[in-house]
Amino acid sequence: MTYQPGAVVRVRNTDPDHHTRMPRYVRGHTGEVVAVLGSWVLPDDNARGVAQPRVEACYAVRFAAADLWGSGTHTVTVDLWESYLDQP
Amino acid sequence: MGGQTGFGPVPVGENGEPAFAADWEARVYALAAVLRRRGLFNSDELRDAIERLPPGQYLGASYYERWLGAIETLVDEKGLA
Repeated sequence: MTYQPGAVVRVRNTDPDHHTRMPRYVRGHTGEVVAVLGSWVLPDDNARGVAQPRVEACYAVRFAAADLWGSGTHTVTVDLWESYLDQP
Repeated sequence: MGGQTGFGPVPVGENGEPAFAADWEARVYALAAVLRRRGLFNSDELRDAIERLPPGQYLGASYYERWLGAIETLVDEKGLA
């Protein structure tokens, strides 16, 4: 577990050629960790039948809708695995 | 596919229970649950199979039609057909 609530993180701007739970609309965007959700199997590995799928910390990360879509006053919170994130 | 906008909300009933528009939808849901519990596939494989549906099928399908298409894909790929 790398990040604590309040940490500012940036979602990696990658385009994997396999299943991922890193939505396109948050890639490259900066958000704030609002909760640490424990450790969970990485869907990217689990979807492909990897024998020993990675288990990573998962975080609830909050984004400003205006940052994602250019308008809106609300926020959007997305559950994101450790390897989806970088420090900004 | 996946992550597209404009499909509207995912149907969710009261207390977060699945909401079904027809009996066949409940049967598809139950079929997925049984196959998952028996170890044929996991939730991530089901999501992946939904995203791998041909774009025309994906875009023309309802929520549980996509589930059914994904189950058919996995049953075929894993040799249970």
